[in-house]
Amino acid sequence: MTTALTIVSLLPELLGTNGDAANARVLAQRSRWAGIDAHVVDVRTVDDLPERADAVVIGSGSDSDLVTARDILATMTGHLRTWTTEGVPVLAVGTGWELLSWGIELADGSVIEGLGIVAGRAVPLAARATDDVIVATKHGRLVGFENHARGYVGAEASPLGRVESGTGNGGGLEGLVMGNLVGTHLHGPVLARNPGLADHLLRSALARLGRAYTPGAHTVAVDEIARAARNPIAVRLGLTAE
Amino acid sequence: MLYAPAILLGRVVRILARWRKPGGGSAVPGLVVNRVAPGFLPRTLNSFPGGLIIVTGSSGKSTTTKMLVAALRAHGTDVFTNQSTANISQGLTSALLERVNLNGRIAADMAVLEMDEGHGALISGSLAPRVVALTNVMVDQIDRFHDSDMVAAMLAKIAARATGTVVVNADDGYLADLAAGLGAGVSVARYGVSAEVLAANPRGLGYSATAHDRLPAESGMLLTHIDGRNATIAIAGQDYPVGLPSRGTHYAVDALTALATARAALGDRFDPRVAAEAISTIPPVFGRGEIVTVRGQQVEFVLVQNPASFQLNVDSLEPGTEQILIAIGSDVRDPSYFWPVNTSVLGRVLIASGSKAPDIALQLAYDDVIVERVEPDLGQALDDFLALPKPAAGLKTIIFSADSMRRTRAHLGLASNKEGQE
Ligand SMILES: [Zn+2]
Repeated sequence: MTTALTIVSLLPELLGTNGDAANARVLAQRSRWAGIDAHVVDVRTVDDLPERADAVVIGSGSDSDLVTARDILATMTGHLRTWTTEGVPVLAVGTGWELLSWGIELADGSVIEGLGIVAGRAVPLAARATDDVIVATKHGRLVGFENHARGYVGAEASPLGRVESGTGNGGGLEGLVMGNLVGTHLHGPVLARNPGLADHLLRSALARLGRAYTPGAHTVAVDEIARAARNPIAVRLGLTAE
Repeated sequence: MLYAPAILLGRVVRILARWRKPGGGSAVPGLVVNRVAPGFLPRTLNSFPGGLIIVTGSSGKSTTTKMLVAALRAHGTDVFTNQSTANISQGLTSALLERVNLNGRIAADMAVLEMDEGHGALISGSLAPRVVALTNVMVDQIDRFHDSDMVAAMLAKIAARATGTVVVNADDGYLADLAAGLGAGVSVARYGVSAEVLAANPRGLGYSATAHDRLPAESGMLLTHIDGRNATIAIAGQDYPVGLPSRGTHYAVDALTALATARAALGDRFDPRVAAEAISTIPPVFGRGEIVTVRGQQVEFVLVQNPASFQLNVDSLEPGTEQILIAIGSDVRDPSYFWPVNTSVLGRVLIASGSKAPDIALQLAYDDVIVERVEPDLGQALDDFLALPKPAAGLKTIIFSADSMRRTRAHLGLASNKEGQE
C-alpha cells in the first residue's frame, strides 16, 4: 500500500454542530472502499496540523463561537491559503465557509472579519432558512438541509449551483466554488447523501497524487441507499425522482 | 372567589368537550379559562404552601420529575404534578381544573412541574418557583431551537424566576456559567459526577459543553460509581446506593438531579436514605430499556431522542446483541444531527425502518455497520423482525425515535403509555 490519504477535519467540535464533521469520515470511508487507505486528522489547534493534507473539511457552529473559531482558524491562515492555492480539495459548510470569506455581517450591523481566503461575505437574510434544500450542480443534484440566518454575496460568478428548492445564498444560487474549494449551506453529511460531490472532491485529491479513483463495490451499494434518502425529499418538493 | 366563574366555566367546557369527543378535548377547557381569566394559571401555581418546583433542561426532565415526586412523597409531602404536554399553559390549566376548588386552590403542599425549555421560557414570567432544577443543555430539536446558546438563554430565563434555590448540573459548561450569573438573592445547589464516572464514559455525557473541572465532594452531591442498574451517590460524605430504572449513566444522573432537588425542596426534612429508597422503586419506562413480551418473544425497546441519548443507549446495549431493528420516523426532521453518534458498536442491524430508514441506514453503513435490509414500512419490518426465531445472543432489540415508538405501539397493540414521551 502506498501512502494513505490524510483528511483534515478542522475544529470538529466547535464547528460540527449539525454533524458536518462527518464529511471527513465519509471521504475516508469512500477512499478505503476504493482500496486506498485514509486517515482523518482532527485539528483543534495549529499544532495539530499535519505536514500535508489531501483534503480538508470544515463545518458549522454556534454564532456565539464565531469569534473563538475565527481566532483559532486565523493562526492557520498560512497553511489554509497554501493548501487552497495548491488545489487541495476543501469542503466548507455554513459558518466554517463564512469564516473563510471576507467577513460576516451580523444582524446588529457589526462585522466579524473572516480569513479572506475566499471571495464574498455573509449577510443577514430577511428570515432564517430552515428547510430541505435542493441544488442543481455539475456534480448532480444535491439534496440537503439548510439552517442559517445569513445568505452570501460575492459568489455570483462561481456558485456551486442553482437552487431548485430552498434558500441557499439568497437570489437563486447556492454555494461557492473556488478552485477545488467548495462552500455550501447544505449541512450535515452532505457528502454521504450526495456521492457525486464526494467523488468530485476525492477524485481531485487523488489526481494531485497522480492516482485514479474507481468507486468500490460497497460504495455502489451505499450510494443506492443515499439515492433512496434523496428521492422522497425531491418528490415531496415537486421534483422528479432520479 | 375571584376565579370561581372561570373555573365553573372551564368545568362546563370540559364536560362539553368530552361529550363531543369522548376521551379528547383535554386542552380546550384550559384554552377557555386562560382566555377569560389569564391570571388563573400563575396564581394557582404560585399558591402552594410548600412552593412550586420546576424541572427543565434538554434531556432527562421526565425521569427526573418522576424520581423527584417519588422522593418528596416518601417524605409525606402531598405533591401536585402533571405530565409535560405540547401546549403547556393550556394542558396545565386543564390539569389544574381537575383538582382545583372554587377558591382557585389545590389541596397539596407542593407542585412539581416538568417544563419544556421553550414553553417554560414563555410562561415562566408570571411564575415564582421556589426551586428550579436544570438538567443539561444538549443539541436537540435543531429546527426548533437552532443551537445551544438559544437553549441556555431559555433556561436562564426560567432560572431567573427562582425565589429560593437553583439546582444545577456542575458538569454542564453552559449551566455552570448560568449559575455563576445568578443574582445574590438565590442559592445554588450543585451536583455532578466523579472523575471516575466521567472516565468510564469516554464519549462524555452528551452535554453541548462539558465543564473542565469535576465538582469537589464538599461542594455538592456526587455520583461516584455506576455499575449496570446500581449507582452510588455521595451526600455530605456518606455513600447511598440507588437502583436505576434502566442501565445507563444518564439514569444515574437523573437520580442525582432528583436527590439534589429533593434536598433543596425539603431543606432540613430531607432524609437521603428515604429519598434514595423511593427513587430506587421507579419502574422501567416504556422505550427506556424496558423488556416486553410481544407475540411470545421478549423484546427490549430503546428510545432515542437526541444524539446524546442515541450514543448512550447504543453504548449500553448488551454486547453481542444479534437481532436489532432500528426505526427513525418523521419526528426526526433532519437526521444530520445524529451523525456525531458513533454507531459502529452495533456491528450488524437486521432492518432499518421508519420514514427516515434510508438516512439511518446510510449513517450505519458509513460506521461499517452491516445493514441487512432497508424497509421503510414499519409494520412490515416489525412483523418480519418478530417472526424471526429467538436470538442466540442478546434480546430482540428495537431502537426507535418517538414517532416510530408510537407507530410500533399502535401496530403491536401495546397499551398506550404517555410515560415514554419527554
Ligand atoms: Zn440560533
